[in-house]
Amino acid sequence: MISRRLFTGLIGSVAMMPGLAFGADMPAPFDNPGAVKIALVRYLSTGDFFQAYLSGVEKQAAAIGVDLRVLDSRQDAALQSDMVDQAIALGVDGIIIQHGLTESMKDAAQRAVDAGIKVVAFDVNVDNAAIPQVEQSDRDLARLALEQALKDNGTSFTAGYVYVPGIAPLDRRDETWQKVKADNPGINQVAEFGTLDNPIANSVANQARSALSANPDITVMFAPYDEFAKGVKIAVDEAEMSGKVSIYSADVSTSDIAAMREDGSAWKATAATNPAVVGEVSVRTLAMLLAGEDPGHNVIVPPTLITQQMLNDLDITNMEDLSAKVPAFAHADVSVPGWMPLPQR
Amino acid sequence: MDNRTSLVDLAIRYGFLVLMAALIVFFGIMAEGFLTPFSAVFILQSVAITGILALGVTATLVVGGFDLSIGAVATSALMLSSYVMVVWEMSALSAVLICLAMGAFVGLINGLLVVKMRVPDLLATLGMMFLLVGAQRIPTEGRSISTGMSLPDGSVANGKFSEAFLALGRHRIDFIAPNLVPLSVIFLIAIAIGVWVFLETTRHGRLMYAIGSNQQAASLAGANVNRYKIVAYMISGVLASVGGILLAARLGRGDVASGNNLLLDSVAAALIGFAVLGASKPNAFGTAIGALFVGILLQGLTMMNAPYYTQDFVKGAVLVIALVFTFALSGRGGRARG
Repeated sequence: MISRRLFTGLIGSVAMMPGLAFGADMPAPFDNPGAVKIALVRYLSTGDFFQAYLSGVEKQAAAIGVDLRVLDSRQDAALQSDMVDQAIALGVDGIIIQHGLTESMKDAAQRAVDAGIKVVAFDVNVDNAAIPQVEQSDRDLARLALEQALKDNGTSFTAGYVYVPGIAPLDRRDETWQKVKADNPGINQVAEFGTLDNPIANSVANQARSALSANPDITVMFAPYDEFAKGVKIAVDEAEMSGKVSIYSADVSTSDIAAMREDGSAWKATAATNPAVVGEVSVRTLAMLLAGEDPGHNVIVPPTLITQQMLNDLDITNMEDLSAKVPAFAHADVSVPGWMPLPQR
Repeated sequence: MDNRTSLVDLAIRYGFLVLMAALIVFFGIMAEGFLTPFSAVFILQSVAITGILALGVTATLVVGGFDLSIGAVATSALMLSSYVMVVWEMSALSAVLICLAMGAFVGLINGLLVVKMRVPDLLATLGMMFLLVGAQRIPTEGRSISTGMSLPDGSVANGKFSEAFLALGRHRIDFIAPNLVPLSVIFLIAIAIGVWVFLETTRHGRLMYAIGSNQQAASLAGANVNRYKIVAYMISGVLASVGGILLAARLGRGDVASGNNLLLDSVAAALIGFAVLGASKPNAFGTAIGALFVGILLQGLTMMNAPYYTQDFVKGAVLVIALVFTFALSGRGGRARG
């Protein structure tokens, strides 16, 4: 009888051919392709960002040759915690916790650590010294975009701001905005609005229209989330103010690139971390832990500034182009020990 | 005694319109730039999509049904129209026709589930809602649709949103000022008038009201209850897909969205509509006023920098007040009269 482990090994070695080639050079337990099982336990999964994150996780897992299980709680905090227990019961070697709530994940993460499983957390603070925290630096994202805004518009301008409090990444981006405003007293914020009503871009467009008509002197809009920026752009276009207003944002997607490149687009720059790269880094960090190496407690994936001019100059039309033509966006030199195989590009 | 009754009657009939007028005066004083033609058009544009959906809900409410799937139909139309143009590279006209056909088909299925399979309306349309939210994401594996996106098979989608299609959501016609009124507002007004005429003045509309108030009596009087119910769901599906098409034209891409907010906002507008002119029943004019009321509130509050949660709060408060108007005040009068 073929044992289950041998069977997974066989499947694994067929599916993970690149892993096989590297297998011999990698430290235990990766010298035996397909023998390592990891689980990705997700809290958020709907939308372009999370799809891209997943694809990064899948590619890096395939490159190393580990068997990946994806458990998706679809924004159910209690279920996500149960899924960690389910992963423990499955006998996985490592777990990546992707988003979630500190309150519900802290104990679950500790149970996994107690069971001898290596754990990595992405964008959720599980408050555990044994668990490295992978983060995209939201403060750096906001800083890069705002530095560009200051460069383009000087240190004195009338600004509108899109913000919804209580969303962790937006709160961190807000800290930077508050600091930039304090450092530049010439910035006069006259309007603040924001909503997460679905479809977000449409709801934000309605609000931005109101804000622009109440404050026609706004010249800079800081919308630190691409759905917000898309909404503001629709409103600016409809108010025929695209020559006057500049939009600065965070995050990027193929449709954002198209919107930034439209003729006379008000959307001047965005700062972004490639979600696929964050996914790859999450897996590599976990792999380092499994190999007995120390990735450090805070693993930060640095963002890239993407300007309208850069997109036009390099003729970038989608995310693949962006990765191909802007190397900083395609790969982050984080958690890359010498033996680590990288996904093929 | 007579005086008091007539005062209550007056309050029921015109209370809501007076409240709306007061609100306009209040915002006119508090928010600079509120009382301009531009501001009025912004408000109409911001409620155009939910307003059209709300008119669909009204059609199902009239026959005593309820359509929970409209938000999902709208976002499905948003994704479908994008898919037709960007991936299949077909024309604007085919995108519109395919979406309308999809809306009608979903309405037909909803109607058949309710009428033939005897599934309660809330449950049938709830099921349809989940089905559509999932189905619209299958072709793109959950990603938004835009030109240049990579498809699951690795190729790149090269189709574009045609200019004619985008114009549906963006083109503005000259009225008072040049380039003032967006086409979506024209659609809203035309559809509102169309639904109003259909429900209030045609024999079919009256039969639908009759079915809504007493299905058995209407059936005994010779109305084809099942057929009218199916038609009501089809109207709802088609109007929801019109809303989705306008949404796609405004956004210029196929956004992954559940449409739950569209559903809630449009149901709220239709329910607020019960209170307008003391109708105490679903009606097209009230629905349009209800949508406008919510739009005025949100526009005014945003101009005054009110955060989003106060807007949700105010929206909820308006709905509760409207329902009190409908059920407590006029309900009491209705029983007394009856």
